[in-house]
Amino acid sequence: MTLLAPGFFYAGLVVAAAIAALHLLVTRQPRAAVLPTARFVPDLPASATARTTRPSDLILLLLRMLLVLAAAAALAEPVVIPSRESLARVILVDASRTTADISQARDSAKAVYRQGDAVIVFDSSGRAIQGGVKDSLDAIGTTTRKGSLSAALISAVRAASQLREHRDSLELVIVSPLGDEEWDAATGTIRKLWPGRARIMRVVGRTDSISRTDWEIVIRAPADDPVSAAASLVGRRAAQPVRIVRDGVGTEDTRWAADSGGVVVAWPVTVRPPGAVSYTQVDTAAALISDSSVVVAPFGRRWKFPSDSVAGAIVVARWIDGEPAAIERTDGLGCSRSVAIPVATAGDLAIRPEFVELVAALTAPCDAGRAFNPLPPVAMASLAGSGGNAPRNAFRAPSDTRSPVAPWLYLLALFTAIAELFIRHRAAGPKASSPRPAPIIASDIQS
Amino acid sequence: MVRWSIAGRSGGGMRDAEFDFAPVLDSVRGIRWPARSAVRGGIPGTHTSRLRGTSAEFTEYRPYRQGDDLGRIDWKLFARTDRAYIRLSNDRAILPTTIVLDASASMAFPAGSAAKWKLASELAIGLAAVARATADPVGLCIAHEPARLQLPPRTRQSVIREMIRAVSEVEPSGSAPVSPSLLAATRVSGRVVLITDFLGDADDLQATAARAVAGSREVHAVHIVASEELDPSRETLLVADPELPDVRRPMTRDSREEYLTAFASWRDQLSHALSDAGISYNVAVPGIETADHIVRRVAAGRVTAALR
Repeated sequence: MTLLAPGFFYAGLVVAAAIAALHLLVTRQPRAAVLPTARFVPDLPASATARTTRPSDLILLLLRMLLVLAAAAALAEPVVIPSRESLARVILVDASRTTADISQARDSAKAVYRQGDAVIVFDSSGRAIQGGVKDSLDAIGTTTRKGSLSAALISAVRAASQLREHRDSLELVIVSPLGDEEWDAATGTIRKLWPGRARIMRVVGRTDSISRTDWEIVIRAPADDPVSAAASLVGRRAAQPVRIVRDGVGTEDTRWAADSGGVVVAWPVTVRPPGAVSYTQVDTAAALISDSSVVVAPFGRRWKFPSDSVAGAIVVARWIDGEPAAIERTDGLGCSRSVAIPVATAGDLAIRPEFVELVAALTAPCDAGRAFNPLPPVAMASLAGSGGNAPRNAFRAPSDTRSPVAPWLYLLALFTAIAELFIRHRAAGPKASSPRPAPIIASDIQS
Repeated sequence: MVRWSIAGRSGGGMRDAEFDFAPVLDSVRGIRWPARSAVRGGIPGTHTSRLRGTSAEFTEYRPYRQGDDLGRIDWKLFARTDRAYIRLSNDRAILPTTIVLDASASMAFPAGSAAKWKLASELAIGLAAVARATADPVGLCIAHEPARLQLPPRTRQSVIREMIRAVSEVEPSGSAPVSPSLLAATRVSGRVVLITDFLGDADDLQATAARAVAGSREVHAVHIVASEELDPSRETLLVADPELPDVRRPMTRDSREEYLTAFASWRDQLSHALSDAGISYNVAVPGIETADHIVRRVAAGRVTAALR
């Protein structure tokens, strides 16, 4: 057994010792005597303090010490630590859209799993599997969400904090196709939170369902449209057929996207984009953020996407205040994007590189149809790491550990406090019922 | 020799005490107690009267004034001087005396010896005997709970014996005020002796005594102070007032000094207040002076300053 906060217990011991010492100091009234001129004596508290070798009020002393020690022990939170084994694994199983065959990932995880290991299934977030791990692994399936190694590693570190009390060292196992879309800017930094190497078990990634042919971006817009100018600068980089509609999207456009697997970008000049509602007053925003670019320019926002429009959609670009500026919805084989970004005809915004990057992001292949690209070798090496398994001390003890004994100790302290109150009142009872001082007998008189 | 014992009385602290008044009665024999000023009254006695009459003791002549009794004109002098003079002489009168004795609980101190009460009793009997020896009527008024005990002034031979019996039958207790007894005494006596420790109704006593002096009464105050009150034990004690049950205070080394200062200051103020009111003030400390010495001091009109 150990104490999570031993300082409280040590403080409790000091207080208990002080209580015992105070019980060795008894306050008593001096010997009584008659003096007719007592009224000329200053009116001071009629008590004196003396030391004794035996503590006074033994029951009260024991109750008070028990009260303090129980409260201190409860605050110190005693926990029982079981005997530790040598190694535990934290297994990260990728169930994102990147994984082509989840059964392969499932079998790989089962192969390395041992009793006491932690299994975390992740896509855009990580979820630890509680109890019945093998059965739970059989039940998992791939999701349509993009995988995030950062979220998975954060969950792994958190699980390691829980396992550190039971094992001497911890091994990180990653079962994933390890696509490049799962790596973000924070992944490398988060990986460093887990010292030592990681065992990488690669499974087959999703194959590209879209032909790799480059497509021209088709734009239907007025002659002097700035978006047309920006789209022309994007060039032949589209991997899916893309149609930018600046004069209002129609059913023919959406049917085309659904049938051909293309991307229709509804980016009207004046009318309200699909799914958006108008601001009562034009709102200004200073910047716009997409995955690949940040555009700083004075935008006059006229439309916004309410929460029900955003539900189930993918936000492609956001305003600087976090409001969605462009959303994507899957539509048949393709997808449709609704863009609520007004573009001024005056100025050089349309030909600025960051705006061209924004247009490229808005005309990129649909999120569900993006091709699988393996993690670059540098990122792969960073993820695998080097050295041995991580020692238990490399992880911080979980701060939310709860002592199962603490509530009972609190209860004991409460019960002791009530008992102390009751006994103290009972001891003081006869004194309280006789406010007049005790009569002074003749033998007490100092003559 | 007269011997009175109070042994066998009921009571706690004084059950075995035995007061013997014979020594004080013997020692005060021969002491005279003249009035401090001319007294009123027509009953012939030993004290100079305010009245001037026709007694045999010639004092002076005074020219005749219209309205004087023609019979008081000294005709022989008239024949020699051809002027009419009245022959004057001093009258003598008695001075009824009452002893007011405080029998409150604080007088039974210290317990066991009751030295304050013993000295007060001896003073009362001694002063009464002195007054009785000068043919003055003497009475006794004991302020006591539950009822005041009063013997009116008498001149008969047995009055001292009755007073001894009365004193012997009283055990100091309670906290009866003394001022009503003093007031009753001043109504029947021209001279009042107040024997008390002033730890009860001191303010009322001062006021009553001052009014009595203003009414041409002679008031003597004998302040009984125990030596234990002047020099209490240096041991830390919880001292209690026998007349005020709520007063229980610790007497420590520090508070003892404050007590001595406060008590001395109070006695000093009391002495000055009584003296300023024309009251003869004497302090009597049991064990320091014998009763007959104090009686002589009171009778001679000497006054002691408050003890320091």
